[in-house]
Amino acid sequence: MNQAPNALCFGDGLPAAGAPCHVTLSAEGLRLEPVEGSPLSEEFVAFVGMSVTAGGLDHDQLVVSWGAGTSARTVYLKEPVLIVAFRRAAPSTLLAHLERAAEQVRRARHSHRALWGSAVGVVVGLGLMVWFGSDLIVEWAVARIPAQWEQTLGETVYQDFLSKETVLKEGPAVSAVQEMTQRMAAQIPNNPYTFRVSVVQSPVVNAFALPGGYVVVFTGLMKKAESGEEVAGVLSHELNHVLQRHGMERMVKMLGLAAVVSILSGDQQGLIGLARQLGLELATLKFGREQETEADVTGIRLLYDARIAPDGMIRFFERLSEKDKERVELFSSHPMSAARAKRLKEELAALPKQTSEPFTFEWKGVQDSLGASEPKQ
Amino acid sequence: MKCEILYPGAFPMVRVYLNEAETVKAESGAMVAASPTIDIESKMEGGFLGALSRKMLSGEKFFFQTLRASRGAGEVLLAPTVPGEIVLLDLDGINEYMVQKDGFLAGAEGVKIESKMQSFTRGLLGGEGFFILKIGGTGQLILNSFGAIHKIELKPNEEYIVDNSHLVAWTSTTTYNIEKASSGWIASLTSGEGLVCRFRGPGVVYIQSRNPGSFGNWIRQFIPVSE
Repeated sequence: MNQAPNALCFGDGLPAAGAPCHVTLSAEGLRLEPVEGSPLSEEFVAFVGMSVTAGGLDHDQLVVSWGAGTSARTVYLKEPVLIVAFRRAAPSTLLAHLERAAEQVRRARHSHRALWGSAVGVVVGLGLMVWFGSDLIVEWAVARIPAQWEQTLGETVYQDFLSKETVLKEGPAVSAVQEMTQRMAAQIPNNPYTFRVSVVQSPVVNAFALPGGYVVVFTGLMKKAESGEEVAGVLSHELNHVLQRHGMERMVKMLGLAAVVSILSGDQQGLIGLARQLGLELATLKFGREQETEADVTGIRLLYDARIAPDGMIRFFERLSEKDKERVELFSSHPMSAARAKRLKEELAALPKQTSEPFTFEWKGVQDSLGASEPKQ
Repeated sequence: MKCEILYPGAFPMVRVYLNEAETVKAESGAMVAASPTIDIESKMEGGFLGALSRKMLSGEKFFFQTLRASRGAGEVLLAPTVPGEIVLLDLDGINEYMVQKDGFLAGAEGVKIESKMQSFTRGLLGGEGFFILKIGGTGQLILNSFGAIHKIELKPNEEYIVDNSHLVAWTSTTTYNIEKASSGWIASLTSGEGLVCRFRGPGVVYIQSRNPGSFGNWIRQFIPVSE
């Protein structure tokens, strides 16, 4: 009477969660004994007139039903020992049902495993794709960004940046930089960008370009440069970062999958929001070595096309290389300046000779104007 | 161990009486107050790996707290985090409940808790994640819900449809399938129901009268966004 329950019995007048009971098997059938406090009465059910299926959440329980109407009873057997005992004791007439039940369980397990297997396969496949093909995915996604988006994005960051800096509005330096930009931009076929160049007062010897054609040149660079052609060389390099969409590639890589999804779903606001999170990081974005080399090579061709003396760019790198001595090439995203100068010389040698046209401004005058506008420390 | 629900309704507590040397395990952080004879121990149910898998897989707490009446009989007051009802269930060793991960509040010493992987479609679409808690063993089990708790009793082969985010617990004799709420996908989404669970008896399904996810979305609009 006081045995531990090993099955649950369902039926009219029994609790909805099932009445716990104890089941034992014999050659003729199944004996159902109530456990303490159970509303069931002891019952013997012959195998004849029983039906068997698989049931439960995972189809791993043996469901035995008999009777009809209000006396209909269903017993759920869960313990594997009990299920095996039932299969041994049951007559051949019930085996068909049993086999069907077993087949259901096998099929459920099989599809369960197949689904998990394919899900794991898809995840692993995607992982491998991202691991090995991320550059391809990035290029593919970036190629789908409309120039308009780039412009909106670049402008946002550009304005954010300029609002915190002292921008030269006019003067020889500004017109010099504009002249360089115009001469180069005129040589770019099907240029989707309108270049905007600002001269920002700062001792930093640098210039950078934002996606969409927004370029910043620091006065530090202009003071350091020995000729307008040197500055034009750096500008040409930066303009080519824009034209090759290097900034977008870096950004998409940094933003990762979220950016790819927003590009694919055409969610421009989402992409700008993501970019704003990066904020001015975009301005200080480091390009990869391959991107730098690409911008160098295309940069020198642009100078050549615009008939600006390309050796200015080379000279600038040569002078930079004097500061490179302690740098180790492996750790730097920029190829060593000396190596860059060498590479550029080779590129230049391959191009037919031409006479370059000088700028209309006098470089000494431009630099003098900067010296005068430098705030007193 | 004896349990008594205090202040039934939205803000209930459970008073658990423990005889000397008896223990109750509760969700960590569930204890509100206790007699001085009670010691609080932190315990990783099912060993380190079991706890880790439960934490990683079902998102349940890594540790349960075990409250032990080591220095004589005493009482413990337990309360869930969210406002909502508490239900007491008796486990007799044969019945088992599948419980969604936030539903467990406390259980007697003999109650066994494990993480169980759901089938792929149920895990992906069911809204409870791929892992749920499977709770069996013997003794009293205390579950909590968000909102009121409602019991649905199902006879063999009787069916009932439940919005998946309202699920709290169901017996392991009950099966369910995930389906679209309406016959078409568009109607399913626009009706605000999306996917539902079709339960088939026999057994019992406990549901909660509020949907935690929807409540979260609703409350988000009042949270000031810092620029």
